[in-house]
Amino acid sequence: MHEDRVSLFPKIVTILVLIFLVAPLVVIILASFSPTVLVVFPPKGFSLKWYANIFTSSTNFLSGLGNSLKVAIVATLIDIVLGVAAALSVTRYTFKGKHLLIAFFTSPMYVPSIAFAFVLLRVFSMIGGVPAYLRILLGHSIIIIPYIIRNTIAVLAGYNWLLEDAAASLSANPLQTFTKVTLPLIKPGIMAGALLSFLYSFDEAVLGSLLSSPRFITLPIRIMNYMEFSFDPTLAAISTLLIVMSLTSIVLMERLIGLDMFLK
Amino acid sequence: MSKKRNFFFLSFPTTFALLVLFVAPMVYILINTLEQDGIANFVKFLTDSFYLNILKTTVIISLKTTGILLLLGYPTAYFLARTTSKLKNTMMIIILFPFLVSAVVRSYGWMVILGNKGLLNQFLLAVGLIENPLKIMYTSHAVIVGLVHLLLPYMILSITGVIQGIDKNLEYAASSLGCNPLKTFFKVLLPLSTPGIISGCTLVFTLSMTAYVTPRLLGGANFRMMSTMVFQEVNVNFNWGLASAISYILMFVILLFLVVFNLATASINQRVGGQKHA
Repeated sequence: MHEDRVSLFPKIVTILVLIFLVAPLVVIILASFSPTVLVVFPPKGFSLKWYANIFTSSTNFLSGLGNSLKVAIVATLIDIVLGVAAALSVTRYTFKGKHLLIAFFTSPMYVPSIAFAFVLLRVFSMIGGVPAYLRILLGHSIIIIPYIIRNTIAVLAGYNWLLEDAAASLSANPLQTFTKVTLPLIKPGIMAGALLSFLYSFDEAVLGSLLSSPRFITLPIRIMNYMEFSFDPTLAAISTLLIVMSLTSIVLMERLIGLDMFLK
Repeated sequence: MSKKRNFFFLSFPTTFALLVLFVAPMVYILINTLEQDGIANFVKFLTDSFYLNILKTTVIISLKTTGILLLLGYPTAYFLARTTSKLKNTMMIIILFPFLVSAVVRSYGWMVILGNKGLLNQFLLAVGLIENPLKIMYTSHAVIVGLVHLLLPYMILSITGVIQGIDKNLEYAASSLGCNPLKTFFKVLLPLSTPGIISGCTLVFTLSMTAYVTPRLLGGANFRMMSTMVFQEVNVNFNWGLASAISYILMFVILLFLVVFNLATASINQRVGGQKHA
């Protein structure tokens, strides 16, 4: 009984925190079905017209969605290759300067996005003629690398390297060893890291703000621009779709490797 | 030995990409800024009270946010680490889930709630607690609410991991030796979880210093933090020299705070270590 009393305070705070965390998301989902422009509670009916608005009117949300997907998918694919290779190079053996190299790989995490975005803007404007898609893609490829590398290092920390020696002793060549033994075992962890990085890039709005051009604008920037002119529940409808996407991702991650990876 | 070298090769593409696209631009633009206008823009920022106030606002907002996050995050992290509830996974999902939702979307949610005609004001007016709508949107309060919401998962996760690693028996031992819960907390739990607290605070402080979307959307046009100021200098005032100066000053201030945090950690560790020997 004594222990139960002790944990009452943390329990109450936890419940309040959980409510606080979901409140704006629940509000958005409810608002997306609002029949009126001003969101009121309790709602005065039910309407899907804001969802129709995403597809029919000139919100440009769909082109923004396409652009964001193009950037996020390609940046994630590039970084899986770069990041997993880099993580393998620093985890297999211990060597002098290993921590320094890891610090170097994760250094983009410690630089404010706005500063990096601005620096890229200046460099690209000096070079000239670099299309917005490439500018944002290169920028995102740099800022999500630390997340893939850290995640893969964490996955590899739990990997039994003796398995590679076993494969080698059974006369597998290094490439076979990697593709048949190592990769299948670390794949779920890498997939989860890739999913996180994909979402990071997909939601990123700082590099997107400074490096986009009128012809190439990503979805978060489209949404922010829309807000400046109108504040109707079309915003809630597109936000709800993004919330559903995130919820699907987290359930997927839980299935893939469990959620303990976030506690490291 | 040769195998080692083969593996080391794998890091070259990433090293190359970071050098060309990250390190070189960051250094080059700093040199370029200094070559073009010397330190004029840095001096302008550091002597003009308008700009200094923006830096001050940014630091104060970030410190307040960090404090609130610690007060909310620690008990939650403790509960998550110690609970045996079957709902733990569901709670983890609820905590992680906003983490994966765009800052734009989350700020929008708060705009619907906190706006002048927002749900909170509708509710308070209906209940009769207030007669005129509260002005919360486009104030520092709205920005702090948004930042706390944005960064709570980081704080909770940083601390939960550390508390999970503290043997529950230590708490039992303290209470069987006559410590009340408060004393157990201050003498056992707090010292042992300090690493998690420090890493959590460092992380959320840095992230709120550099946050851009939340202050832009919830603070509005007249609320300025360092990152929104960079954007304004670039897109509104077209003063790239000053934008450069603000970017590098922001980085320098963050670095300064990280050094102070690290020194504090070192001294705390020493004190905790000292107590153990006493």
